[in-house]
Amino acid sequence: MSTDIGSGTGSDATTIEVGADAAAGGSSSSSINPASVRAVAKKDFRDSIRSWMFWGLSVFFFTLLVATTGAISYFGDDIAAQGQTTEALVAMVNGITRLVIPLIALILGWKAIAGERESGSIKILLSLPHSRKDVLLGKLIGRAAVLSVSLIVGFVLAALVVVALLGSFDIVDYGGLLVMSIIYGLAYTSIAVAVSSLTRSTTIAGAGMFGIFVLFYILWDTMLVAFMTLMNSGYLPEGETSAQVALFFNSLDPGVAYQNVLSLATSMPEMDQQTVQILENTFGSVPFYLQDWFAFVILLAWIVVPIAIALFRFDRVDL
Amino acid sequence: MPALRVDDLTKSYGQTLALDDLSFEVRKGEVFGFLGPNGAGKSTTINVLLDFIRPTAGRVEVLGRDAQAHSRDIRSRTGVLPEGYRTYDRLTARQHLEFAIESKAADDDSEALLERVGLADAIDKKAGGYSKGMSQRLMLAMALVGEPDLLILDEPSTGLDPNGAREMREIVREENARGATVFFSSHSMEQVEAVCDRVGILRNGEMVAVDSVEGLRNSISGGTTLRVTVDRIDNEAVQAVRSLSDVSTVTVGSEQPPTITAQVEGSKTAVLTALEDHGVDVRDFSTDEASLEDVFQSYTTGTEVHAR
Repeated sequence: MSTDIGSGTGSDATTIEVGADAAAGGSSSSSINPASVRAVAKKDFRDSIRSWMFWGLSVFFFTLLVATTGAISYFGDDIAAQGQTTEALVAMVNGITRLVIPLIALILGWKAIAGERESGSIKILLSLPHSRKDVLLGKLIGRAAVLSVSLIVGFVLAALVVVALLGSFDIVDYGGLLVMSIIYGLAYTSIAVAVSSLTRSTTIAGAGMFGIFVLFYILWDTMLVAFMTLMNSGYLPEGETSAQVALFFNSLDPGVAYQNVLSLATSMPEMDQQTVQILENTFGSVPFYLQDWFAFVILLAWIVVPIAIALFRFDRVDL
Repeated sequence: MPALRVDDLTKSYGQTLALDDLSFEVRKGEVFGFLGPNGAGKSTTINVLLDFIRPTAGRVEVLGRDAQAHSRDIRSRTGVLPEGYRTYDRLTARQHLEFAIESKAADDDSEALLERVGLADAIDKKAGGYSKGMSQRLMLAMALVGEPDLLILDEPSTGLDPNGAREMREIVREENARGATVFFSSHSMEQVEAVCDRVGILRNGEMVAVDSVEGLRNSISGGTTLRVTVDRIDNEAVQAVRSLSDVSTVTVGSEQPPTITAQVEGSKTAVLTALEDHGVDVRDFSTDEASLEDVFQSYTTGTEVHAR
């Protein structure tokens, strides 16, 4: 398997061959060892949990929930009258976390790999019997744990205040928002760690994070608007297929998926009757990609796909 | 089975050739000094041994296993002090050690290891505040975790004061006595000659010499340099010294006081006797043995070096 390493002629060809060789072998050095992943994740979590960031995040989530609850209990007499206070809280908080969690995850994951390569501390990790895959997965889990634990701390502490302030407290809705927020955070952490593994320069990694931010905060919507505009002005064929493509594209946005998936975990309505009516008139039935189970699949895909690409590629590079 | 076998290893970065058909072996149980000036390719070689980088061509076996295909197995039996690393600023020495012990599924005692490298007093301090020397001691302690069969130490004396460097060599000896093979890179002969069984000298990505310390010492000509201070220079006396069979070169310094310098393989008294027989008064004399540093210089700079 490895004996043909020296047999290549051109240096470029040989490098590729070596990379493919190491991967194709499925050998022990590119395998995943759960104990190793855990050790790396634990170290990474310890390395970051002491920083002000973790406590800052916990306080932030706590404040966000308490402030929103306060606003609802102060202004939201109608909501309270309908007994939908937790539901309203979930909807309002979700609107904010949708925008904030990606930023936090990108900042947390920015240097995950690139920083260690730039400083050389990755040599400590990889001098020990960890595979590169172990390191990537450990980093993903470690960084995601920082975000998740601060979400949990913020949510649990805020729950005491929320229960006191809100007339009715629905723990399923509240817990559902927490769980989906963790999954959403995991998706963006996966994206961040994957991008961070592509380079050994934190500057380039930072630019990559900014690119991701622009893509999902600006470009994705802009592309959708552009598509609609082109369609409406007749440059693209107007019709069922075009509309399907646009809606499908929209549903791939992790933020959209995060919002849609809440109806799966909370009592938030999936879609109002009017929308369902329009969709049924247009397509005959509600398309699968607009259903909340698919939103969950999309979120999972945003966790799995970026880290899978990174796992594949990171095994092949010189550190 | 050698502890380490490098066969025709080549590594190029674009047009730059970092390693050029490098081949050498490190025997099981020996302390091998891997010498070369900065930029010779020492760290590149070590990075290939540890699978941090992939060779362009060639094959490397560590502890009898392919360095790429079985890197995890190799690293579980190897202790590494890498070069160009950085410790985790927010973790203490104890936490660094705990991480290494957990990673290697070993059962070492962090405190005992840190005591051994002389870092016991900083055990619960965060590594962010460590000096280079302290970081180096911490990394050495991490390398010792799990009683490795092979120690790979890349420039271990970096940042250590002479006392620290001596303690480090002492640990190398202890580990070797325990049965570990030690592969030890350095840019300075001084650091390796006291502990190494054999030395390999790397220059521009090629091994220019591999030999025992004694063999290297003998490999440069001249043996001992004899420097004699005399009252005057006498041509006949110099000729007489030159004609001695044990003497290779003789140079004359005419400045005050006049000196005669001779490379002598055998008896030095023969030189002194020859001078005095010709009526030259010997005021003083000194001898110098070729130092390994000179050997190293001669191999790595390509200039001819005489014993001092």
